[in-house]
Amino acid sequence: MRTCWFVLSSMVLASMAPILTQELPAGVVAQPGSTPALKNPLDTPADAELGRKTFVTSGGCSYCHANDGTGGRGANLTNGEYRFGGSDEQLFETIRNGIPGSDMPPTRGPDPEIWQLVAFVKRLGSQGLNEKASGDAAAGKLIYDTKGGCAGCHSIHNTGGILGPDLTRVGRRRSLRFLEESIIRPEADLPLDYRGVRVVMASGETVTGIRLNEDDVSIQLREVNGSLRAFLKDSLKEIRRESPSLMPAYGSALSPREIEDLVAYLSSLRGTP
Amino acid sequence: MERVLAAVALLGASVLLKSQGLPVTYDRLLKADQEPGNWLMYSGTYNSWRYSRLDQINTANASRLKPKWLFQMRTREKVESTPLVVDGIMYLTRPENDIIALDAETGRTLWTYEYRNPARLFPCCGRVNRGVAILGDRLFMNTLDMHVVAVEARSGRELWRKQMFDYAAAGGYAATGAPLVVKDKVIVGMAGGEKGVRGFLDAYNAATGELVWRFHTIPEQGEPNYTWSADSGERGGAATWNTGSYDPELNTLYWGTGNPWPDTNGDVRLGDDLYSCSVIALDADTGKLKWHFQFTPHDVHDWDSTQVPVLADGEFRGRARKLLLWPNRNGFFYVLDRQTGEFLLAKAFVKQTWTKGFDDKGRPELVAGNEPTPEGNTEVWPGVDGGANWMAHSYSPLTKWLYTFAREEHRVYSKSVYRAPTTEEEVAGFRGRPQFPPEDSFGKVIAIDPGTGEIRWEHRVLTPPWSGVMATAGNLVFGGTMEGNVFALDARSGKLLWRFLGNGPVYAGPISFLSHGKQHVSLAVGDVLMTFSLDGE
Repeated sequence: MRTCWFVLSSMVLASMAPILTQELPAGVVAQPGSTPALKNPLDTPADAELGRKTFVTSGGCSYCHANDGTGGRGANLTNGEYRFGGSDEQLFETIRNGIPGSDMPPTRGPDPEIWQLVAFVKRLGSQGLNEKASGDAAAGKLIYDTKGGCAGCHSIHNTGGILGPDLTRVGRRRSLRFLEESIIRPEADLPLDYRGVRVVMASGETVTGIRLNEDDVSIQLREVNGSLRAFLKDSLKEIRRESPSLMPAYGSALSPREIEDLVAYLSSLRGTP
Repeated sequence: MERVLAAVALLGASVLLKSQGLPVTYDRLLKADQEPGNWLMYSGTYNSWRYSRLDQINTANASRLKPKWLFQMRTREKVESTPLVVDGIMYLTRPENDIIALDAETGRTLWTYEYRNPARLFPCCGRVNRGVAILGDRLFMNTLDMHVVAVEARSGRELWRKQMFDYAAAGGYAATGAPLVVKDKVIVGMAGGEKGVRGFLDAYNAATGELVWRFHTIPEQGEPNYTWSADSGERGGAATWNTGSYDPELNTLYWGTGNPWPDTNGDVRLGDDLYSCSVIALDADTGKLKWHFQFTPHDVHDWDSTQVPVLADGEFRGRARKLLLWPNRNGFFYVLDRQTGEFLLAKAFVKQTWTKGFDDKGRPELVAGNEPTPEGNTEVWPGVDGGANWMAHSYSPLTKWLYTFAREEHRVYSKSVYRAPTTEEEVAGFRGRPQFPPEDSFGKVIAIDPGTGEIRWEHRVLTPPWSGVMATAGNLVFGGTMEGNVFALDARSGKLLWRFLGNGPVYAGPISFLSHGKQHVSLAVGDVLMTFSLDGE
């Protein structure tokens, strides 16, 4: 299977050669000392729009990823995280060949159509890139570090807590509106990987944390202090899920201006270029 | 000298192993229930009870079950395969389309047949295969690129291969189900209901691979029961992607059909869209239709009726009948008379919102507001993967109950724009946010009384399942969860008697067989085929 995958990848690359070397030679970006990486030759907003049409129609993508890319049967494409790589070339290969071991099938259609899909999918996962926040990012950083206490749970460039999602690239991935809503109403769009639960032990002791895993026998948590805990369900009195987000809602804790500034700071977090 | 003797002894043992149990004649298939030590077809027997008459493992000792051996497939694909076992040799398919013969006592490989598919394939839902069929000394498998192959059971040598259809036609065809052998024919279905294909069911001559008959699951325009607006039936789906059942006395095949296409947009295929979402009863010799029953007329929810038909005889409302039991993807458990197709009963076994009830012909009376919408309808139950799906049900003649692993799932139904029929055009899509909190959904093993449709007990699990279940004469029901919890329940009460933490999703159905006189249970957990026995012996 792996052999086939390699051969297939080579074939796909070979099949793209005419586009890259003849029609759109500028699409090849040579990296010193490495195999040239492929850059999307069809990456204009118009291309992305054509990609969107393919996505929701003949591509069949929306059947699993939803028309807005938020996922369902398939992965959520709006968070900018791609298991098999987010470069133009990697996305092209994933879309073209599918993902063995998953329901993601290969995609038919000519190469330009695939490139347009790449353009659309990349924009799904970088919705914040083209927005300009109105707030003061420097003031927002101060709120992040002090009054907001955000670093207690969130990490930026491997600095900060591990209870909540990493925010290193959140400004690239998320729109201003999404960021604001997440601050005011964290439960509005909670990633399933960060659901909060509270378990009540036989002794009456309660433990609150993020659910890491669960089956019919046991449940595994990351406690608020970062500790990893595991419980056999038979030993628990109760598992409460009534408060799915452990993140405080900041709608009343911060002023509108402070929220605006915090959004500006988060929007400036674009990761390593 | 000793080495030579040892080698000869080993050779002798090997030859003996490989020649046992063949041929598997049609007469043996007819009486598969008389060979409880073997598992001779996908559902165990033609009536598709997936019931083992073995009782060495039972309610008193199930807690002693231990893994005996594992067979590691090293695939990233879902393993949906049901193995066959013939007198000590197991025949298993591994994704995409390999067949492997194993020593059923140890899991050691005897031979491997590797089928090479083209790189680009068009299955809707994974590069999966659900198993082989056997007749004589031949195994039969259908492939993702729409071929049927016959392979010698002793060697894995390919004897013939026939193309069913151009797999790249329309939006793409595939074949994933296990074939069913009836008399001298190999009955094979196909998939592609999400791709604008026209469904059919084929019968091939087991000896030569020649096509004997083909039944189109959508009539031609102008034929009786063409119930599609304009020419929409030409690409209307109604695939046959799971395995059917057979009644030898009636010489009738029963096979479920899939959804009409496009799945969630019925505007361009007005009418009942026959024979989508139906059971078709066919003459096994000719493929001629005897009767049909449509569970979901003009389906817009992707509620395939490709469940395995379960055939059971019994008294129904005071009259002895040949029954057809059918927990359907639309959330209702149906009982039909399988001689006539007469509708007898429908009762919901999961939460449902879409119908007020049924008329005396079994036609549902729809509840408004359950249609897919462009923005996404989140108030429809059961979810799009259904109350039941393709996973195997089981029937126990001891309890006379049907066991099924049901899905209670909260999903969204979205309707997309439809423009034209080919692959390069519009297809069904989903809009909005289809994700809900996991606790909105769960799975449950249930015991259904076919006489009334009442649920006698339920065993709830965390996640909507994809595993089949198997009942046994030891009054056990086996299955596995999406988290890999393999379980044995008391068939009479649903009480959990044994569990093993396999930590891999279960997409297959269990089987049971004898090896060296002892009962074993096998089930694929993740990409590992696990085989259990009492104390692991």
